[in-house]
Parts: sequence; structure tokens; C-alpha cells
Amino acid sequence: MSTITKPRHAGHHPEGAAPSVPGSTQPAWLIVTLREVMVKAKDRGFAISTVVTLVLIVAGVVFNAYMDNRGEDFAVAVTSDAGRSVVALADEDGRADGGNTAFKAEVVESDDAALDQVRSGDVDAALLQDKDGLWTLTGKEEVSPGLSGGLGAALESFVLSTNAAATGISPEELLAGSELEQSLLEGSTENQAVASVAGFAFGFLFYMAAMIFGLQIANSVVEEKQNRVVEILATAIPIRQLLYGKVLGNTILAMVQLALYGGAALLALNLTGTSDLVGGIIPASGWFLVFFLFGFLILAAMWAVLGSLASRPEDLNNGSAPVLALILAALGAGLFATGQLLVVASYVPVVSSVAMPIRMLNTEVALWEPILSLVIALAAAAALIHLGEKIYRRAVMQPGALSLRKAMKLEQ
Amino acid sequence: MLQVQNLTRRFGEHTAVDDVTFSVPSGKMTGFVGANGAGKTTTMRMIMGVLTAHAGKVLLDGRSVTADDRATFGYMPEERGLYPKQPIIDQLVYLGQLHRMSQGDARSRAQELLERFQLGDRRKDKLESLSLGNQQRVQIAASLLHRPSVLILDEPFSGLDPVAVDSMVELLREHTAQGVPVLFSSHQLDLVDRLCDNLVILQKGRLVTSGSGDELRAAAPRRHRLTVSPDAGWVREEAGVTVIDVAGRDAVVELDSDDDAQRLLTAAMARGRVHEFSRIRPSLSEIYRGVSQ
Repeated sequence: MSTITKPRHAGHHPEGAAPSVPGSTQPAWLIVTLREVMVKAKDRGFAISTVVTLVLIVAGVVFNAYMDNRGEDFAVAVTSDAGRSVVALADEDGRADGGNTAFKAEVVESDDAALDQVRSGDVDAALLQDKDGLWTLTGKEEVSPGLSGGLGAALESFVLSTNAAATGISPEELLAGSELEQSLLEGSTENQAVASVAGFAFGFLFYMAAMIFGLQIANSVVEEKQNRVVEILATAIPIRQLLYGKVLGNTILAMVQLALYGGAALLALNLTGTSDLVGGIIPASGWFLVFFLFGFLILAAMWAVLGSLASRPEDLNNGSAPVLALILAALGAGLFATGQLLVVASYVPVVSSVAMPIRMLNTEVALWEPILSLVIALAAAAALIHLGEKIYRRAVMQPGALSLRKAMKLEQ
Repeated sequence: MLQVQNLTRRFGEHTAVDDVTFSVPSGKMTGFVGANGAGKTTTMRMIMGVLTAHAGKVLLDGRSVTADDRATFGYMPEERGLYPKQPIIDQLVYLGQLHRMSQGDARSRAQELLERFQLGDRRKDKLESLSLGNQQRVQIAASLLHRPSVLILDEPFSGLDPVAVDSMVELLREHTAQGVPVLFSSHQLDLVDRLCDNLVILQKGRLVTSGSGDELRAAAPRRHRLTVSPDAGWVREEAGVTVIDVAGRDAVVELDSDDDAQRLLTAAMARGRVHEFSRIRPSLSEIYRGVSQ
């Protein structure tokens, strides 16, 4: 049996030298991209970690909602009508505005009886007034902040109204003009809270994806280098296309995973009814996706270069410091940057992936600003991929670990 | 025909391949021999375009090879390597696609080659789960997958058991029968003897000699074996005869011309009985040993 079904080359036919096979129309970079995606998608560890993260995100949202909605019931021992009134006032406030913190007074004969009840655990605390009129709240081992806060506020308004009544002025008159209204020159107070949560989420998601998929790119490069498959690949396709395929494949994976996580979080927020804040996040999240894409492309080129310089996966630790610094800077911008620093950060490629969406949440940002920042990031991505390609092409064919300086001097 | 012309490559101060010229005729197996470090692998990598030549060129059918040409070459690098953690069939299909085969074609061709190597039922196994010999077979399949127009194989037989060597030889013969030029390097001189139509010998980066077996044999020193009685010791005194070895009635001698051979035979018959007088046909490995001393 002959395995050669189509006699192709013959030294004597000039056209036999470079035959094109019918039926193959895919460009090389696309074949590489598809392989990167398929290998990862079929990887059980990757599937499991994705599912686990999804579950954690949804569970986190649900847990938060549960904690927010969970009511607290406090039993307080008192010995006087005044005490009972304070507890009743606290109960009223606790239930106001959809709250579900309840206070119940247990009236007992004496202070000692009240303390006995605390000791035995029948009540959470005892609210007692000494002969000088000073109030004490006594718990067994601790007094929960919900309890002391609620009773403290109730006591204050109780005493206020009692004292006011004694002077013949109504409590409202007494407090007139004492209210402090809050306002911000830029943005709104509500956005501030959303921004801090979203900033954390953006920073963290970027950090995770940059690490997971960045390392994936570097490992995939170093695997081919270590096994010398790259030598076979290099004879089949331009090595540049191999780099493009890897960067693109992992970018797609990162974006899909990010969209999956973000989608799950938004869905869970909606279903648990904690969605009042979500409205503000969505436009910024859209921008985040775009910025993420550009920032990730830059990091992807860097990780690919790191992979090509290494000789084994273990070598990746050396030399990954600059990349890690950039990723951490992006995370830090999400968590801590404010004011002028945040404005500057929102134009620095990679860091801008997190910083600009956060700025857009915090304040009004003119449309040209994110667009300019994206143009800068795109230029940086193009320059880095171009540079990365040069280093990659040289280093990946060279067995063993290399320094960046040495790789730049290599000839192919 | 694949031709290598004046190829030169330096690594720093060291010239690994120095002005090397030879050809690999279509439909012939050309053995590439030389000691370790002679420059065989460097030459092959330059032919494949993996390494840039500092001088010289590679021609296919008389014109410079292009990247498109090289994509149709089959190459087995010195350092073996595919993807250890991936199923065999997946990586073969991937390599086939990169060599511009359609997915379906690559799959059926990979299956066919794996079956030839008795690996058909292991196609879904991870490469690393195979024995080294079987991994080597997969490597061979990878180089033959896309029905290459030229084969450049760096030590293709190392690590193969005799059965695998035979099926490899059979496969290579099928390719040469289709007119494919095959260049392979080997340290196994017996295999080189058995397989090669042509030989290229490198030493320290330089070409020692190259050509077909007949050409090389014709150029090799003319050695004759002479068996006489009672004793062959007298050949030492004959003019125009270089004695290689004399033991009792047997002598191996080197002669410059056919006239010298006739003279020696006449002298031998004058001195006693001649039992054997024959030209020694050197094996390619003997030629290799002769020139690389």
C-alpha cells in the first residue's frame, strides 16, 4: 500500500515545488488562535476554575444581599418606664424605612434582676439608669454595634424630647437648622459608593485575567520553545503569525471569561434585588471591556516575550517583575488612586484600563478623554507587539534562557 | 533537485559551516555524515530557513527556495519535540493545517500514518504517555503528514527499534519513488550503506566529499586483495605497490593504476600459485572512515 496518494513534487516539474492544497483557506494565525482557544477550553482545570469562580461570584452577591436583608432582634432588660420608652423608640427607628431591626423590652423588678437576665442570656443587654440619671448599657461579653447604635440614638432623642418638654420648647424647634446636607462638586454621593465597589471589581478582574491568561501565553510560548516544536512550526508558517495567534486566542479567552464573570455578577445583583446601584456601573463596565482589551493586548505581547526568553516554565519568574509591576499598578489604581493621580493614571497604558473607567464612574469625563486614552493604549499595544515580535522571533528559536539585552543582539 | 551552494554560518568567532556545496538529487536518498559538531544540523537548519545563512544559498530546481517552498518540505529537527500533553491526533491535525492541509485531509492522512506505525488505536492518547520509540514514530508522521516535496531529516533513525527502522525505510522509499529528494543525517553507517544512493561528508564545517556511491567508489583508492602460496611477503618489495596489510598468504595492497595491477598479477603468477586477485569494493562507511581520518 502506498501512502502517497497524490504524487506532488517531482524535481523536474517547476510547479511541483510549491503546491497549494485545495480546501485549506484559513490563514495561519487563525489556525493558531483556534488551537489556543480549543486547548484551553478542553482543559479540565480551566473549566473547573471558571465554574468555581462563577459560583463564588454569585454566592458572594447572594450572601451580601442576605446579610443586608437579615433582621436582628434584640431583647433588652429595663427597670423603668423611661427605659421601656427608649427601647420602644429604638424599635420604631429600627423598623423605619424598610429596616428590620427589632428591639423588645423586658421589664424587670431590679437592676440585679436585669443583670441576672443578661448573665443567663435571656436578654442581649440591660439598659439601666443610676440615681444620678446616667444611663448604662451592660452586655454579657459584648454589645453588638447594632444594639448600642440603635439604643444610643433612641436615648439621645428620648432625652432631647424630655429636656425640651421641660423647657417648653418642642424638639423640632431645638434642632432647627442643625441638619447637615451633603453634596459633592463633582459626581454624586451615590456614585461614590458605586465607584469604590466597581473600582475594586475592575481592578481585581483585570489583575486576575492579566495573570491567568498572561501566564497562559507565556507558558504556551515556552512549551513550544522547550519542546522545539517551534522549529517545525517556523518552517511551516511565519513565526510572526504564531505570536499573533497566541495573543489573539488568549485575548479572546480572557474577554469571554471576563464577560461571563461580569454577566453573572450583574445577573445575581438583579435577581437579589440589590440592583439599584447597578444602573450606574453598566456604561462604565462597557468602557472597561474596551479598555481591558487594549491593556491586555499590551500585556499579552510582554508575556509572549517573557515566554520566548525563558527556557523552562520555571524561568518565567525571572524577568516577570516589570510586567507584574504594571499589573499591580493597574490594580492599585482601581483601589487607591484619586484626584490628579487618577487623572494621570487614566492615560498610562495598561493602568488606564482600570483607571479611566473608574474616573468615568466618579466624575463627568468628556468623551474625548477615554478616546484619547484608548488611542494612546492602542499605539502602545501596536508598538509593543511590533517590538515583542522582533524579540520573540529571535529568542524563541534560540535554545536556553536569555536576557532581554542578549535577545536584542541575536541574529536569526 | 535540492542544491546547497556555498552555505556559510558563523557563531561568533566560530565558523560552524564553511562554504559547503552539494546537491540532493530528486528521487534519491542522500546520507549526510560527519562527526558530532561537523555542521550537519546547522546546514539542515539553514536549508529549512530556521537559521539564516551568512553566505550562500539553497536552490530548488534551480531557483532560490522561498518560504512557500519550505512550507512544503518535511522536516525532522535534531531535538525532537511535539506537544507532550496533547492527544497525538490533535497535534498532527494542527501541524497539517499549518502546512496548508484542510482539517479533514490532515485527519485522514494522520490516521493513515499512525496505522502504518501501529499507533492507530492510540491516536487519542497524550504524546507523553507513549514510549520514546513511539514518540519518535509520531515525530516521523509529523514530518511526512503534508506529503512533502523535499525531506530533511536530522537523525531520523536514532531511537528506533529494527522493526520501526524497516517501516521508516519503506516509507522513505515510497517518497523517493515519487521523486522526492531525501537528505538524512545519521551516525549509523550500516544504515547509510544500506539506504543511500548519495553521500555528503562534512568535517569541521567543511565539505570533505559528496557524490553518488559509484562516484565516491571510483574516487576511492584502488585496493586489491591478493592470495598466493606459499607466501605473500614479497609484495613489500614490488614497485608501485603500497602495502596495507600482509599476513601469511594474504595481502591487501593499494595500486595507483590498472597497469600496476596487471604487473603485480604477472609477478605473483611467476612466483607461485594465485588463489585470488580481486578489486575491493569499498562500502560507503569505509569511504567515510577513509576520508575523515
